Amino acid sequence: MNYEKKILLVDDDIDILEQNKILFESEGFEVAIAETSNDGYEKFLEFKPACAVIDLMMEEYDSGFVLAHKIKKHPAGKNIPVYIVTAVASQTGMQFESMTPEEQEWIHADDVLNKPVVLEEIISRISDFYEKHTS
Amino acid sequence: MDESDQPARILLVDDEDYLRNGVKRILQIEGFEVDTAENGGEGIKKGTDSDFDIALLDLKMPDMSGIEVLRKIREVRPNTICFMATAYASYETAVEATKLGAEGYILKPFTPDELIHNIEKGMQKRRLILEAERLRLEREARLLELAFERSRLNTIINLLADGVLVMNQYGEMVYYNPAALRLLDLDEILLAERILEVLPQEVREIATSMITKETFEDVGQSVQFRIAAPQEMFVEVTCSPIPDNGKKKTAGIVVVAKDITQYKQIENLKSQFVSMVSHELKAPVAATIGFLDILNNPKMNLNDEQRTDFLTRSTSRLKSLLTMVNDLLDISRIELNTVKREIVKLDLAALLGESIQMMEFEARKKGITISFTKSDSAYTIEADKLEIERVITNLLSNAIKYNREEGQVFVSLQKKGLYVLLEIKDTGIGMKPEEKERLFSEFFRAKNEMTKGIHGTGLGLSIVKKTIDWYSGKIETDSEFGKGTTFRVFLPEKTAKE
Repeated sequence: MNYEKKILLVDDDIDILEQNKILFESEGFEVAIAETSNDGYEKFLEFKPACAVIDLMMEEYDSGFVLAHKIKKHPAGKNIPVYIVTAVASQTGMQFESMTPEEQEWIHADDVLNKPVVLEEIISRISDFYEKHTS
Repeated sequence: MDESDQPARILLVDDEDYLRNGVKRILQIEGFEVDTAENGGEGIKKGTDSDFDIALLDLKMPDMSGIEVLRKIREVRPNTICFMATAYASYETAVEATKLGAEGYILKPFTPDELIHNIEKGMQKRRLILEAERLRLEREARLLELAFERSRLNTIINLLADGVLVMNQYGEMVYYNPAALRLLDLDEILLAERILEVLPQEVREIATSMITKETFEDVGQSVQFRIAAPQEMFVEVTCSPIPDNGKKKTAGIVVVAKDITQYKQIENLKSQFVSMVSHELKAPVAATIGFLDILNNPKMNLNDEQRTDFLTRSTSRLKSLLTMVNDLLDISRIELNTVKREIVKLDLAALLGESIQMMEFEARKKGITISFTKSDSAYTIEADKLEIERVITNLLSNAIKYNREEGQVFVSLQKKGLYVLLEIKDTGIGMKPEEKERLFSEFFRAKNEMTKGIHGTGLGLSIVKKTIDWYSGKIETDSEFGKGTTFRVFLPEKTAKE
């Protein structure tokens, strides 16, 4: 349960991004936002969040996966939960379950969640993550 | 008497005048047509020149033996019935003559009745021979025809792009064409090979249930499946049962395999497009709902400025949603060719001037200047005004949106043969090669650090391209990332369309 309430949100829709920022702030989080995956990585490096929520489809259809991979590979990101959010699964029938274990390991995201982001769900997932990893 | 329409034709070969003339008279009275020869040489000539029904040959003649005449005539006319007439019949000559195909001997002297009796018997045989010959020729002709028909059918089936395979009720291969091998994913197959076991599973199931059915049912069944290697292919197979003679049982199955890869690809493109559309339509709805949820949430302590901001942004998202729906409807109208156009002579220079004026406000906000150059000739094209206006404003608004602050837009008109060339050049952020490639596809929008905050539906250029295509024009793009983009639009002065 002990973690710094710092979250990084990455989404190419600035409206969604600012809405989520307000919501997380209302729960006492310090929030950094980024509209592109490059910007997201830079923010990650300087902000050192305790969690990241990344939109899957940004510049490319799999930009979110690439960013998740980069964060998880970094020493500062290795031990924080990274969630990919997407509306793709329900709309295109793209099956994320069909990803090979190698792919999943490469992406290394802690979960792929459906959009829209449910605040309570993410917060409880973050808590669970830290409970598991600090005990 | 001869029963056929034509009187029987008889050749009489004898060196004795009185006998020739006497016999000739008797036969003519009986209604026969008689020709005579007075020696062997003449006999051979007449007997081989035409096909007599019957030849009566004297065995002993001064120039040659009747046997010799018989041999020569039979060589050329195997169906002429030959009788030998002689007073000196001996066993040896009789045997030789029979070997050579003589019908029989008539012993001299003979009575008219004996002669007629022999001739009538000979005629019966001749008719049988001719009938048999006719049937044989007829059958040969039919067989030839049949063989030709079969080879023609083979050629047709072998050249079919669809695969055809026929199996009997035991699941044994009876016939197949080369396409069947490819489309049913089979290696070489053998005649009478039990084909059921090597067919793709989907086909095997249908075929098995068909041939194991107790009674024949005239119902075909289709199935689609995918072949992975050597190249991905989608195949549709239709199995149709063949009834046996009594139509009680299934005698076999005709399997027809069709390559439907292309249909599948189109279907895929369509569903991709549909998911892209729903994704794009959902985004503004989700953003608006997000704002409204926050506005309605009493726990959020929003100030007035924030409330106004969120409401404004919600409105703007819904407006862009509306634009997008309208653009989509336009695209579908262009594709279905149901656009209502009013083709008139358009002064492109004037239209361009108006459009630039309309965009001035947007341009000035970013400190962008628009210049317009043209020589003084007239630039008329035949087109629908609203449609061309839309092409121009789309390109102009892109040139402004994707420009840098204090940038420039150069617009020019030129004549190029039968076309008018409209060029719109900006000093903006340009495109990467991979972005340029996807430029005209629906919903493509270049997304990078530079395009942050630029709004659009991603449908504008798609509509531009489709419109220009309809007028049989052309659009070209030059772009360098970080430097700017140039669009060149060629529009024909005259349109063949109405």
